[in-house]
Amino acid sequence: MTSGHDPQLLKGVLSLLLLHMLAEQESYGYEVVQRLQAVGLADVLEGTVYPALARLEREGRVTARLVSSSAGPARKYYRPTAAGYAALVTGTATWTRHTAIVNAVLTRPVPTTPTRGS
Amino acid sequence: MPHSITWIDRLRIERVVWTLDQRLYDLPRRSRIAKRRELRDNILVAARDVGTSPALRRLGDSRRLADEYLTAELGEGPRHSWVAAILFGGTVPLLINYFLGEAASAYGQAITATDPNATGTFVWGGVHHLQETVTYTFTQGQASITGGAWTPVCWALWILGTVLAGRLWRLLSPVARQRRAAPTA
Repeated sequence: MTSGHDPQLLKGVLSLLLLHMLAEQESYGYEVVQRLQAVGLADVLEGTVYPALARLEREGRVTARLVSSSAGPARKYYRPTAAGYAALVTGTATWTRHTAIVNAVLTRPVPTTPTRGS
Repeated sequence: MPHSITWIDRLRIERVVWTLDQRLYDLPRRSRIAKRRELRDNILVAARDVGTSPALRRLGDSRRLADEYLTAELGEGPRHSWVAAILFGGTVPLLINYFLGEAASAYGQAITATDPNATGTFVWGGVHHLQETVTYTFTQGQASITGGAWTPVCWALWILGTVLAGRLWRLLSPVARQRRAAPTA
């Protein structure tokens, strides 16, 4: 399990991660958090995920339905809408393009010691 | 291993839920109640899973959480505040009525101080710009009072103050955004 993620980096990609998770499997808030933790994102807190789900719902990218639960009140399950799937495709392409560019830069060899300016 | 939830845990959870609820008063009522219920359910599941203290700790600061919910629901940037508007709109009339009433009362007391058995009609113009004319009718020192209502200027100032306190003009920007986004025929 990894820790010490850059919160700003995660925040930028959280919506995309949530859309992907919900496209894989319809889930309620805490279940999404558990699934994120299971893939290694232990630093993603509930206090970040719940408002992000609310934002996706307001933007019309996910829809929610109440499912009765044996362990308490009905739970709110989220799944992507058509707009959510479209955003997922676009977002994934953008993310892949960005990471390819960043990786290309970061894998260039650099001198082991700082070079002096001429 | 699932954790059991004691009544103290329930109280701690309810405290967090209702603290957040108080900070979400600028949301529409239905949305606020839905968020409160969803959050309570999620915390209960988390508390059974990892224990109440870690579940609450992982929620983070309730002020920040409320702010994130408000941003999620109302968008980025400066927002209006119904709470501030209602507070101003509800409190200021009480204060104004108190001061205008005291001013009118002082006028009546001045008359009876001069003549305890005063008889006749006495007219006072009221607090300038804020209060209508106040008419005292005395019969052997017994007064009856009419007038003293707010002037249109006072009403206008109250409405203006309420709008300013709640930054209610910001309500117009989402409407304008929606209009711009709407397809033209």
